[in-house]
Amino acid sequence: MMQRVGAFVSRNQKFIPLTATAVLALAAYGFGAVLYPGMRDPQVFLNILRNNTFLLISAVGMTFVIISGGIDLSVSGVVALTTVASAALLRAGWNSWLVILVMLVMGMALGAVMGGFIAYLKVQPFIATLAGMWFARGMSFFISDDAIAIHDRTFHILGQTRILIPGLSDPVAQQGDFVSIFVIVSFIILAAAMYTAHLTRFGRAMYAVGGNEQSARLMGLPVDTTKVLVYTISGFCSGLAGVSWAIFVASGHGLYATGFELNVIASVVMGGTMLTGGVGYVFGTLFGVLILGITQTLIQFNGALSSWWTRIVIGLLTFMFIGVQSILAARKVGRRRALEAGASRWAAARRRRRALTFGAGAVVVIAVMAAVVINSAPAAGGPAATADAEQCQLKPFRQEQAVSFMEQGAVITYERNGGPSCIDEVYAIFPDGRIVGDDGVSQIEKQATPAEVGELLTGIRDYGWFTDEMYNTWHTPCGQCYGYYLTVADDGQEKTVKGVDGGTDAPADYWQVVSLVKGIVPKFVVTP
Amino acid sequence: MKQPGSSLSWRKVTESKLFFPIVALALILLFDLISNPGFFAIQSREGNLYGSLIDIFRNASTVMLLAIGMTLVIATGGVDLSVGAIMAIAASVAALMMNPYVMAKELPPNLMKLINDPQFTFQPLWVVLAVTLVVATICGLWNGLLVAYVKIQPMVATLILMIAGRGIAQLITNGVRIQIFYGPYAFIGQGWLVLPFSLYLVAVVYLVAWILTRKTAIGMFIESVGINSRSSFFSGIDEKKIKLLAYAFCGICAGIAGLVASSNIKTSDANNIGLTLELDAILAVVIGGTLLGAGGRFSLLASLVGAVVIQAVTTSMYALGVPAFALQAIKGVVVILVILLYSEQARSLIRGIAAQRET
Repeated sequence: MMQRVGAFVSRNQKFIPLTATAVLALAAYGFGAVLYPGMRDPQVFLNILRNNTFLLISAVGMTFVIISGGIDLSVSGVVALTTVASAALLRAGWNSWLVILVMLVMGMALGAVMGGFIAYLKVQPFIATLAGMWFARGMSFFISDDAIAIHDRTFHILGQTRILIPGLSDPVAQQGDFVSIFVIVSFIILAAAMYTAHLTRFGRAMYAVGGNEQSARLMGLPVDTTKVLVYTISGFCSGLAGVSWAIFVASGHGLYATGFELNVIASVVMGGTMLTGGVGYVFGTLFGVLILGITQTLIQFNGALSSWWTRIVIGLLTFMFIGVQSILAARKVGRRRALEAGASRWAAARRRRRALTFGAGAVVVIAVMAAVVINSAPAAGGPAATADAEQCQLKPFRQEQAVSFMEQGAVITYERNGGPSCIDEVYAIFPDGRIVGDDGVSQIEKQATPAEVGELLTGIRDYGWFTDEMYNTWHTPCGQCYGYYLTVADDGQEKTVKGVDGGTDAPADYWQVVSLVKGIVPKFVVTP
Repeated sequence: MKQPGSSLSWRKVTESKLFFPIVALALILLFDLISNPGFFAIQSREGNLYGSLIDIFRNASTVMLLAIGMTLVIATGGVDLSVGAIMAIAASVAALMMNPYVMAKELPPNLMKLINDPQFTFQPLWVVLAVTLVVATICGLWNGLLVAYVKIQPMVATLILMIAGRGIAQLITNGVRIQIFYGPYAFIGQGWLVLPFSLYLVAVVYLVAWILTRKTAIGMFIESVGINSRSSFFSGIDEKKIKLLAYAFCGICAGIAGLVASSNIKTSDANNIGLTLELDAILAVVIGGTLLGAGGRFSLLASLVGAVVIQAVTTSMYALGVPAFALQAIKGVVVILVILLYSEQARSLIRGIAAQRET
């Protein structure tokens, strides 16, 4: 039995990194679902896909480049340039489909030029694409220094259309779990890329070039053409990712996507593609992207861990995957050498021991990380969270208090409750600049200027104040999330909006308004 | 067509690694002189010298520091992408040791008065500097271990710290941007002793590196490891230790650069200190003629000139009124041009076209 398993494993050894990634992604999501009931909501999983379409699209392009033995640092620059250029062209009144087409062609052209430098002038991929990144990012600032908002109808429809998932939604009421159009687009790109990489002549040439450029050339493969094509494809993907980004945030700015190329490279590496080239699966990249998204979601749900933990965790995971890859590569070389020198049992045992040590190390790292995630919540959570972190659910909206504040003439009431330390705060902002807060125990007051309040209201109006429907974005609340209730009286109308953070489907401008309000209200001193 | 060997000494000059960067620098400065005749004016105030030229050198000092370490790493055939992140870590460590109160739950009542005092520091300056440099060295050693002993590709191995480093830097200060008020620390990046103090730091680091590589055999070992790591191993050079040393030294240089950068802006800004400076450092080394990816022969001085060239381009563009961010586009074009000048393919292509014209 053991032998058969061993034979199966060694025969399918090339799938090990892919399987490891898939298992890790599923395990991480399962771990989150056990810990935070809110994560069991299928919409949370769909939101990971929805929020990372640009990552998936550009990671697919990057997979091609890395398999062919190169690297493409220009991704983030091209994405930023695409958002700015498309926003500027739309502002100039171009047709939206034409804009998208032009953006894709521009991405391909940039990629082709870089590929040409790499293939024909033998410039190092690192340097050529680095120059490409600088060029693209700099050009976006030549177009505009500031962010340009996108008010185009087609872009809006592309971003807001909900594709309901059959079985998880009610098609008549148009409610339930959904994905966006670009999730579908990114999966089409993924499927097309898998077909191209594994089932076409170009795909095989790409693997050959990445594996050993010299022998690929001697075999008579069109090495240079393949390279140019690979970078053109990557440029196309970056352009599409940029369009998706512009649609997602409905604006364009040259500072978008700084450091994005790191996330893309990390996803590709976590997806089991070797940075040395020649080895890897496009399909694995999907799981790499998922791991990144799940890590972000876990940290968001935990609430007590700050956002920079994402970077540290991604760094550690990248390290682990690279370690596994280097061991697999060493084993391959070692086995060949052992065959040449007559297999030495001792050497094989040593290699196995090395792999075991590394595997054990990886398990320990994961265990420590899991312990940190589980423990950090109560530790940082304060008194209420220690005993019953799971019990600290969101409290009902203190409507009477909000209404009484509004009757006293407040323009905004804002309630925030839940979170890791189980708070329950109500604030009211009056037009004369008086701000009062109440956290159930004590009261707080702050005097802002009337001008600041006016600015806040203008800001809320500028974000295109929410539609009339009352957003009810309840999913089974996670123990660590905050619930927000916001009532605004402006222009003779009064509207209340409520929502829970952590992967809900409230529109982006809702959170922007919440953060505006957060900026002005006084803070309660956390009593230990 | 030039006659090969017509003038031996001229050929020697043009083949020196220093030749091209100095020509480039001279061209840029000439351009400045024409576009702005007052460019080279240097004033003396209270015995200290000020002027555009000195500004170029002062602003180049962080990249110069990074370029010294990066030269050694690239000469061993590697690359270190994590120097920017190490700068951020160093800045965070230094700031935290001078002003750790941001981390405390209970703040001392007279806190603002205390930390606004330019004489206040929690730890004495030498402890701050020593611990920061030790931390930076550990970061460099980590890179070196991965490259030399775990045998991960240098670009990938240092990518790990590049991704995680800024997270670690924020973890150290708990996400707070710590302001630095301590006067003597500010002197590192902002002080003047006739010339900016940071230039003396560059000179010291350069001297140490020069003595290490040119007065001992280490320099030759580094070149030999870069040219062929395996055959150096067979000829008795401990190639792993040499690589480890190069990355550790690069880490120290990045640590010093982090001190200079944080002292310049008087905060520990983990998100922005040293951002994309690794690219500038690599570019400086490439302009200096050390081959990226291939390693081998290197020139520390040429890398320093390369760093100054980058800063001179930047300053000249500012003087022309090009916006700061848009400058990157020009930088990208310059990189490609520089690389093409070095590239054999481009040279042979041009030669081929020239030959076709003649026939």
